Amino acid sequence: MALQLESVLGELADSLRERGCDASVATMSVVVFFEDATIGALARERIRMLASKHPSRVILLDGTQGDDLHVVNGCDWIELGVKSRSPEILRSAVATLRLPDAPVVLLWIARGIGSDARFVSLSEDAQTIVYNSSLVDVGHDALCEFVEYVERNPKLPLADIAYLRLAPWQECVAIFFDGSAAAELAELERVEVGCGSEPEAYYLIGWLASRLGWTPSAADALLSRSGKRVAYEIHRQGEPRRIARIALSSAQSTFVAEVDASQETILLSAHGSSEHAPRYRAIDNPGIAALVERAILWGQNDRIFRAALAAAGEILTWGKE
Amino acid sequence: MPDETVARSAPPTGDGAVNPLRAGLSADRITSPCSVVFFGASGDLFKRMLLPAVYAMYLKGTLPADFALVGFARTAFTVDKFREYCRAQLELFMPDGSKPQGTLWNDFARRISYITADFNDNRHFVDLKNLLAQNDRELGTGGNHLFYLSTPPPVFPEIIKHLKKAELEKSDDGWTRIVVEKPFGTDLASARTLQAAIEAVFPENEIYRIDHYLGKEPVQDIIALRFANTIFEPIWNRNYVQYVQITSAESLGVEERGGYYDHAGALRDMIQNHVINLLALVAMEAPISSSADDIRGEKYKVLSAIEPPTHADVWSMSARGQYGPGTIDGHAVAGYRQEKDVAPDSNTETFAAVKLSIENWRWAGVPFYLRSGKRLPRKLSEIAVTFRPIPHRFYGDSTEGIEPNVFVIKIEPDEGISMRFEAKVPGPKEHVRSVYMDFSYGTGFGVQSPPAYERLIGDAMQGDQTLFTRWDAVERAWEIVTPILDVWQNTKDFSFPNYAAGSQGPESAKKLFADWRHL
Repeated sequence: MALQLESVLGELADSLRERGCDASVATMSVVVFFEDATIGALARERIRMLASKHPSRVILLDGTQGDDLHVVNGCDWIELGVKSRSPEILRSAVATLRLPDAPVVLLWIARGIGSDARFVSLSEDAQTIVYNSSLVDVGHDALCEFVEYVERNPKLPLADIAYLRLAPWQECVAIFFDGSAAAELAELERVEVGCGSEPEAYYLIGWLASRLGWTPSAADALLSRSGKRVAYEIHRQGEPRRIARIALSSAQSTFVAEVDASQETILLSAHGSSEHAPRYRAIDNPGIAALVERAILWGQNDRIFRAALAAAGEILTWGKE
Repeated sequence: MPDETVARSAPPTGDGAVNPLRAGLSADRITSPCSVVFFGASGDLFKRMLLPAVYAMYLKGTLPADFALVGFARTAFTVDKFREYCRAQLELFMPDGSKPQGTLWNDFARRISYITADFNDNRHFVDLKNLLAQNDRELGTGGNHLFYLSTPPPVFPEIIKHLKKAELEKSDDGWTRIVVEKPFGTDLASARTLQAAIEAVFPENEIYRIDHYLGKEPVQDIIALRFANTIFEPIWNRNYVQYVQITSAESLGVEERGGYYDHAGALRDMIQNHVINLLALVAMEAPISSSADDIRGEKYKVLSAIEPPTHADVWSMSARGQYGPGTIDGHAVAGYRQEKDVAPDSNTETFAAVKLSIENWRWAGVPFYLRSGKRLPRKLSEIAVTFRPIPHRFYGDSTEGIEPNVFVIKIEPDEGISMRFEAKVPGPKEHVRSVYMDFSYGTGFGVQSPPAYERLIGDAMQGDQTLFTRWDAVERAWEIVTPILDVWQNTKDFSFPNYAAGSQGPESAKKLFADWRHL
């Protein structure tokens, strides 16, 4: 059965008239799909923040509700109940409701990326596709699905919030190896990541592996370019989607970045031959709005992300074996 | 698995070794460690603007992890007292109200040091050299030194001389840069003298002449507007533009700056730097890239196409004013001559208007009207580009009042863009009226722009000179305004005060302009 969009279009037209001559500015149409009410509530809140910074037409496709749901809030916020709707109907609804000239950003916050025909259908009209593997699953299954999908569709403009969330921690790790300490990178023997969800941890290790030329050699180890074994370990620690600790060590040195007791600061400490006085960074956990913005602006074609994702995929594959 | 192409593109670290983990990380984070020395660290600019900017950068993680701040000023402080002073000033002046406290403040504070100094005594510069070496050893600042001159300008040459004498003008292990606050000279001769003093010690690529106006987001938006769009370029010339009006108006008076302002005036304080910089950005040709050299090269070229006036021309291309008592926002305010530290018979202008011509292919014959003043009805900075009228009365006499299109780049207080165009009023009659299309960066992007000093200090640390003024452009701006200064200074204006505070400005300025955009 088709969605009844006439009344939605009528309400949009009324809303536009009520706005009078106020000019409207829009940067994109944001299409959000979810099938979990809790995720949906979170998504609504965060997408409002995003839309307040980047004026957008937001089309929320609520997979928990039937077609008795439709909400039009002003010209820019539309919610449709799409439970049990076919891929073709979803695509057609978006085609009708999106802003004609602005790009479409698809936020798919559900499982089944790649295997779900609704995703395939919606993704065909999207200029940017944003996934959030650790919101869907704090384990690594959603990330595995994503890896497989990207392998099959290498040219699609995809980004994963779980990777974008790593930026401040990548910065913290990089700080350890500036200057003469860069030589220590070849000597690393062990990496530990404490994180409340697995995708961030695998991305971080995948990022290190792709930057440093490490390849998986066992379920818990990688091999460096010089053939040195680099063990890795992932602990569940702290809140989901938050990294709590990263430790890298060689025979001579240990480098640790960890959230300190105040929970407001990352303490960077280096001991051994690369000894350094403690350094501190304010915890910079960018909100989802900032992360989606990052995905839109430069995340989807980031070669470093693609390399880190591929490496994380290989590590996950070895882990299964 | 290794991404070789990206690995090769990884930036080198301070000592030339490549840290492959740096590739692709956000460019807004400064990676090169450094010490920043603020000369004049007990002054107003430091406590209100510079210190809050640096601390905000620290909180945002955009400072290098290995960083040190050194205060160097006449006021006697111990290091501990100076740290307490900094904390107290941050309590007062952090723009977002965030308080310096906890682990982060303690870490920041331990990076602060201070030298009580006489700027004429070389021993204090030797102390500074030793302190910077100590920072390099203990705080890992890597031999990189940024000197920030935030003292009164007359002290600049003395500081530079002693930096050289103490061999601080170069660093064996890293880079050295010097930031020079405005005003850069008080006229052409003094600017050249100051430049000679600086260039005798520092090469141009190490000199950062700061004009905080250029760090404002809307000023940078001018470049994006002009060169990230194609629709404006075809009409951005003498064939379509009738005139350009650049305004920088303030409702405030001279506040606590009467002593400085009475020797400066609106022409020196605003037109010579801020307003002429805006003119350069709006009128320059497209740079071949967004690099500092290319942008600054084009800015200089367009300024060099402005013929400085002769003394005889001055009265026909400029007007000045001084405010008397009046009313602003419903409150009675004093006249300029009644302000603190202002001479009771002052001849200093608080309003300046100038008409300039750019003699090049693009702009020949298009007047550029510049105006700036204090105690005007409201704070307003904008660039208004007025297009030529329609060539033919298509609607006949009934539409005689058709207004020309106006494109406005709004800089303060509501940064954005507006466009006036004509539209038919619905109905059977052929009535046409002006409508205004308005885009606000605030509602468009819903974010506050970062303060200008944060951006500029960060750029100086990164070695990006794009938003700093090159000497040739500073010199050219002085060449343009100096004849006007000469005539104004040597001619007592007996009409002063010639505009009331809160009014639109002096009548003489309105007569100079083809059109007077209402303030």
